[in-house]
Amino acid sequence: MDRDLLRQCLSYHGQSLFALLGSEQSENAHFRLISADLAKAPCQRKDKNTDSSAVEQFIARKADLLFSPTWKSAVPAEEEWSEETEEAYAIMPPLEQFMDVHFEERRDLFYRDVERGDVVIGRINSIRDFGFFITLICMGGGLEREIEDLELTALCPIREVPSNGNHDDPLSYYQMGDLIRAGVKDIDRYHGKLTVSLHPSSLSPNLAKLKLGVISAEEMPLHYSRGLKVASSSSETYQKVLESSLGFSNPSNVEFLLGKLGISETQPPSLMRGLQSKNFSDEDYGTSIRKKQSASWALKCVKIGVDHFKSGRHVEAMNEYNKALEMDPDNVEALVARGALYATKGSLVKAMDDFELALKSCPSHRNAKKYLCQTLVERGGRLEEEEKLVTAESLYRKALALDENFKEAEDALQRLQVHIQKSLKLREEEAAKEQKKSKNVETSAEKLRKILKEEKRMKRKKRRSSSSSSSSSTSSSTSRDSSSSSGGRRKSKKRKRKGRRSSRNRKKRHRRVSSHDRSVGSKEEWYPAPANTSASFINEKQEVSRLLDEQSWPEGCGTSQVQRRRSRPSVSSSSLGGQDDSRGRFEDDPFDGPSQQTDHCRGRGDGCLVSPSGSEAGLRERKWSCGERVQRKESSSRHQEQDSLGKMRNKRYSSSSVGSEPSRRADSHTDGHSAQSGSCRRSDGSRYDNRGATNQKGEPRDKRYSDECDPRASGDTSQNGKVSSEGSVRKNVPATLLDIFSQIAQFEKEKLNKAKM
Amino acid sequence: MIKSKHYDRAESTTGGDVEADCTADTKTHFRVCRFIMETGVKLGMHSIPVATACALYHRFFRSASLQVYEPYLVAMSAMYLAGKVEEQHLRTRDIINVCHRYLHAGSEPLELDSKFWELRDSVVQCELLILRQLNFHVSFQHPHKFLLHYLLSVKGIMNRHAWSRTPIAETAWALLKDSYHGPLCVHYPPQHLALAVLYLALHSYGVELPRGAVEWWQVLCGDITKAEIESIISELLQLYDMEAKCT
Repeated sequence: MDRDLLRQCLSYHGQSLFALLGSEQSENAHFRLISADLAKAPCQRKDKNTDSSAVEQFIARKADLLFSPTWKSAVPAEEEWSEETEEAYAIMPPLEQFMDVHFEERRDLFYRDVERGDVVIGRINSIRDFGFFITLICMGGGLEREIEDLELTALCPIREVPSNGNHDDPLSYYQMGDLIRAGVKDIDRYHGKLTVSLHPSSLSPNLAKLKLGVISAEEMPLHYSRGLKVASSSSETYQKVLESSLGFSNPSNVEFLLGKLGISETQPPSLMRGLQSKNFSDEDYGTSIRKKQSASWALKCVKIGVDHFKSGRHVEAMNEYNKALEMDPDNVEALVARGALYATKGSLVKAMDDFELALKSCPSHRNAKKYLCQTLVERGGRLEEEEKLVTAESLYRKALALDENFKEAEDALQRLQVHIQKSLKLREEEAAKEQKKSKNVETSAEKLRKILKEEKRMKRKKRRSSSSSSSSSTSSSTSRDSSSSSGGRRKSKKRKRKGRRSSRNRKKRHRRVSSHDRSVGSKEEWYPAPANTSASFINEKQEVSRLLDEQSWPEGCGTSQVQRRRSRPSVSSSSLGGQDDSRGRFEDDPFDGPSQQTDHCRGRGDGCLVSPSGSEAGLRERKWSCGERVQRKESSSRHQEQDSLGKMRNKRYSSSSVGSEPSRRADSHTDGHSAQSGSCRRSDGSRYDNRGATNQKGEPRDKRYSDECDPRASGDTSQNGKVSSEGSVRKNVPATLLDIFSQIAQFEKEKLNKAKM
Repeated sequence: MIKSKHYDRAESTTGGDVEADCTADTKTHFRVCRFIMETGVKLGMHSIPVATACALYHRFFRSASLQVYEPYLVAMSAMYLAGKVEEQHLRTRDIINVCHRYLHAGSEPLELDSKFWELRDSVVQCELLILRQLNFHVSFQHPHKFLLHYLLSVKGIMNRHAWSRTPIAETAWALLKDSYHGPLCVHYPPQHLALAVLYLALHSYGVELPRGAVEWWQVLCGDITKAEIESIISELLQLYDMEAKCT
């Protein structure tokens, strides 16, 4: 029993209480211990009420509860002082104010109760060289009193004023009449002197977040402003203020305040003997009864489910098990039964999960162990068949760990180990074989490389000497825009004659061209191409390319052609439908690298739609980006086929650039096709086998043409067996990509001109 | 405001003999309210829903007769309804489980059989009955909110050390909760109840508050009289005495 509390109580109530206590608490050992102490100083209260005998009786009876140290269960939350932005509860002005406590008493009480670390708010009334004085207006935390009319002053010495960065006198920052929030540093209760500080360290921990120093009128605490209202009008009673404040209507203010005061809801205090909650048995609580009940209900379901299972009705059995597990998710029997059902049905992984869950809650469940071992072994067997030997081994070991005497697991483990050794041997042999193979492979690859290098050298020589331009002179094209050309062929021929420009020049020309073209075609609208149209566009291009090709078919370039054509399958399927096999192949040359192919495809796709209207802006942009890549690849790969081949390619590219002109192609289509078909089919036939697969894929892919050039291209290239030849062709192509683009532009311009005409 | 209408200062019942007041009915009500409060703790109900349940029960039996309605069933339904009103929803299954175990100590949980469903049906139907009996006025102003705010104001005026060493808050809270064993909540407005309870708590520990022109309790509750405080207190103390007789 709390002696001090009792003493206080007794001094308040007097002797009679003591007597009652004696009688009521006679069995209480604690009381007897301290009763001697208490007997010494009970005093009579001045204005004792007569009918407090019942109260005293009550106190005496409940003294063992009231004064027991465990009764003080309230643990107030050490809350941080947060700005009163949202009122969680009604914040009231100090009670003193309502009570009209006398001036003197208030002052005495203030000095009795104020402590270091409390926060005061005051106004500066004088600034001296050793500090400034403030007149206190109200409390800012830690204490709630009405002090404004007490006209207390506090000193804030200069050492308690934090200095701002510059070396001025810190006091110069403050002026008369400033509102200051400060922490109480020192109290001289006897003389009634207060020292305050502006250092945050002077605050008590729960108030540490308050900003000290000058504050504005808006930052005055709510209880002060409410107090002002009360002081001004006499009709503002406590009740009114309370009920009109927003925080009072907050539905969760009870919860909040209980936390603030530290009263527990789960172990609520009561003075009734029968309601001492610590005496309640845990098993009587709702949650534990529910658990038991759920377990029993679930068990019933499991029994029904097992019946179903035994009679073969697996679906109903599963339903019952699931029902049981819904009611009681940790039910061991249900888990085991369900696991068994899974295992019988063949879902071994799910079965194992269920068994493991069951064993987690009940590690000694016999059936769970047994079933789990069996399932592990079975699963191990399956894994063995799938050649996942290591996993299988771990499963067997796990089964053995669970049950050392599990014969099957042991057998299986031994079998597995034999299997592992066999497979290891096999692997060694294979590895040895592969090493041999790789050597062979290397030698053939080396040979190929040598060949390629030679070819490169030859091409380089020829290219340097020739004056054929790989890229059309875009400046010439611009100059020729105005002139109506008789035919694209003538232009392409002229372009071929021009010398190869440096990559930088090409770039510049592209830029110029693109800007020019943009101005030409800016009026036209730009919209993305659907897959179908792009395909047709490519077909049309091919006609012209064939047409051109027929004119300048190089002699004895069979191998290179073959090579080139081999690279075509990489794109043909991606771009064309089945019927356009032969045409599609021609498309391959430009599209060597996946990235280029993508771009080119896109360019083509876009260009196709654009073409009827003749706008070239998008194409130019594509060309531009492709051109860059072309340059890069160009610089890296200088090996080329014969120059005539390059020309041929040029033509093809130019023809492909013509793709924007459907009308032309229609005319040339039949011519070109017949001419080309003969030469093409020779090589085509050889590659049909290759292509068979790709073409089939081409059809479905056609739809996604513009979007998925990349994956298709890469997929296609993988199909092609002859990697090295492809590689060489691919490297050749980028050099002339710029040509294509410029030629496309050229033809489009021509078309425009024709339209104008 | 609900205040004036619903609260009858039952002066006739105050004062007088403790024995006379302990009619059989009062005892029954006491027991049933004890039942409500104990099962409330076991169900994890918060203070306010428990108070609502008790208030519903007391109001119901102001006009209904114990001969007609089974009080324990009314109590169960009152708890269920109070959970809904105060947004702390309880499952009928839990209520039935805990109440069954309270009334049949140490029994096994009920099986999902017809008896269970019948019980559940009766709880739900009785809920409707209570609603109708009370004309659907089922939300109350409870003294708890007032008491907590009063406690804060009193804390402000006390010395902080005196406050922390005197368990005023717990005592006042316990007294308030215990007051629901009787129909105090029906007879007096919530502010008065809260104040009386606080007064008793302070009085029990011999805490003296500063004196001003107005007494602290008069400030907190403008329209209360000392006499009323005392009558509330005496009624409350009678409840404690009844405990010995009823349980």
